[in-house]
Amino acid sequence: MGERLRTILPSILSVLLALAVCWCFIALTRDARIASEAYLQMLRGGIGDWGAYLDGGRVTLLTRPWGEAAIKASLLLLTGLSVTVAFKVGLFNIGAQGQMLMGALAAAVVGAQVELPTVLHVIAALLGAAVAGGLWALIAAWLKLARGVHEVISTIMLNWVAVSLVDNWLVVGPLRAGAGTTLNTTGTAEIHATAHLPRLLGDLSRLHLGFPLALAVALGLWVWLARLRTGFETRAVGLGPEAARAAGIPVTRRTAEAMGLAGALAGLAGAVLVLGTEFRYPGTLGAPYGFDGIAISLIGGNHPLGVTLSALFFGVLRAGGTRMQLLGVHKTYPELIQGLALLFVAGRQVWLTLLSARKRPPEAPAEPQPVPEAAPQPAQRPEVPRV
Amino acid sequence: MFEVVEALLSSTLEYYPALVFAALGATLSERSGITNVGIEGMMRTGAFCAALAAITLPTPVAVLVGMLAGAGIAAVHGALSIHWRADQVVSGMALNLVALAGGTYLLEALYGPNGTPPIQQLPRWHVPGLSELPLLRAFSGHTALTWLALVLPLAFHWLFYRTPLGLRLRAVGEKPHAVATLGLSVQGLRWMAVLGGGMLAGLGGAALSTAVLDRFEQHTPAGLGYMALAATVFGRWTPLGALLAGLFFAAGSALRIGLASSAPGIIEIIPQGFLLALPYLLTLVLLAVQGRRTHAPAALGTPYEQESR
Repeated sequence: MGERLRTILPSILSVLLALAVCWCFIALTRDARIASEAYLQMLRGGIGDWGAYLDGGRVTLLTRPWGEAAIKASLLLLTGLSVTVAFKVGLFNIGAQGQMLMGALAAAVVGAQVELPTVLHVIAALLGAAVAGGLWALIAAWLKLARGVHEVISTIMLNWVAVSLVDNWLVVGPLRAGAGTTLNTTGTAEIHATAHLPRLLGDLSRLHLGFPLALAVALGLWVWLARLRTGFETRAVGLGPEAARAAGIPVTRRTAEAMGLAGALAGLAGAVLVLGTEFRYPGTLGAPYGFDGIAISLIGGNHPLGVTLSALFFGVLRAGGTRMQLLGVHKTYPELIQGLALLFVAGRQVWLTLLSARKRPPEAPAEPQPVPEAAPQPAQRPEVPRV
Repeated sequence: MFEVVEALLSSTLEYYPALVFAALGATLSERSGITNVGIEGMMRTGAFCAALAAITLPTPVAVLVGMLAGAGIAAVHGALSIHWRADQVVSGMALNLVALAGGTYLLEALYGPNGTPPIQQLPRWHVPGLSELPLLRAFSGHTALTWLALVLPLAFHWLFYRTPLGLRLRAVGEKPHAVATLGLSVQGLRWMAVLGGGMLAGLGGAALSTAVLDRFEQHTPAGLGYMALAATVFGRWTPLGALLAGLFFAAGSALRIGLASSAPGIIEIIPQGFLLALPYLLTLVLLAVQGRRTHAPAALGTPYEQESR
């Protein structure tokens, strides 16, 4: 089995198995017909209702779902890439959620409080979000590099600090639309029209510039990691910090840069949410896209292109989830598929054992032996340092 | 003044068992060297199954069901982390996501979005004579879990530091190879700790749905699992530390809720946001101050491989 196949196959099998298990789950709690119907609705909501369109329906039957899927996919892609970049230096960024919150807040503030011409305003809001997310992530990087605090613990804590301070104070307090007046609104003030991410298909769908932006970011990261010196150094740090240090790579600097970049990407996701669809910081940024990023990144094998594919796939499912409501299946159902797929990806060794067992004679030992790793996988983290 | 302190005390006593049980579960699992960020998911599963079981069974039995459900989720974590040497953080986060989405779906499919029908809460123990005394009144009228949450950490302290089994459990989290050299099973000890931790987390969840509330709600446990994780770190991975940190964080939450209900207003919003952030901020500060002299078990998060030395 080729090395590349060994890397990719577990992810694909995991997603397929998750789809199958979740189908059975609905079939058991309802019945098989509803399960199939729900899956069909999910597809229609994600890639368009082709049947109705070909029967002479309007083109919006296709463009609306595409737009919704693209919106979801761009958010998943940016948070997924955030987690991926941190993985490249061997850090586990569980803090994408908090970084995204900070980014969303910065975008909402810049979008509403600053007066700028159209193009500049969008750029300023995006930059503000990236900086805010990046700084939030750098706290964790500093704790790690200077104080030896494990990033998993610190980013989890920082997430909750962000949620508490932003959702439970700033957004309901000083930054609330009409704060100080008797107006009873939720969320921050509406951003100016100049800060809206432009829609690409006009009124046909909600598809906006955030989607090509996210794709461009993924492409840029891929080029950077695969083709540029600093990208190579970043990967080298993740594969072996000691060896990288011996080779003269500035390990501490590259680690901090990668974590800052990870935070910036998560912050961008927040900006895309605010500038593209919400147009304000909503009452609570309920959707846990930051945690989704972990799943998207790992299912995509922590590779920019794989993450793009996995974000597109789950973007389609998540957009279609809303249509499952019609059958009484909760709209978050695709998140269950995503979570299970991540769980199955975590059991990578199980897949590899099963795959190699097929080549063995049938009298395989009852206790499956772990497969010797043929080559170091980029997807694997180095040994976890102490918390 | 007395009334305020009394209300805060009572509210803290109501609220802390869930946190302490979960923190104790995380402590047990992590002392054996298995990272446990899946506490939130285990609590959610425990809360859900306990509420479901309480509809048909007596509530104390339902609490046991919740514990078993927590252990069931922990078994998946154990299989992946101990047997298949998976990344423990990934496995834990995956379980959180699955429990979150799965609970949402099942709740909707079985009862609609508003939560399970109300169930019989655990019996409350009204201490005779206490209700006349100021301040001490707060200790009356709580469920058995409130008292169990005081006793269990002491029991675990004894287990950890006074029994051979406790020594082995701690050793397996520090130097698993040394334990293996003595002919003891590293895997077996870790399985025990992970399943026990899952049971405790499930008990914490069950405390939410059978003692604090009288049903399972969509948002249960609403991040309490992560707060328990903070309490574990803040309590330096010790049973008594988990108890004190849990009490402290619960008091903070009681204060926040008390402020919000007694003096709603724009002025109260600021402390509320800060009080919410407090447990996490304190944990961060503590970690930053301690630096590398942390109290975490040495082998935490590293899969055990028999061949490597």
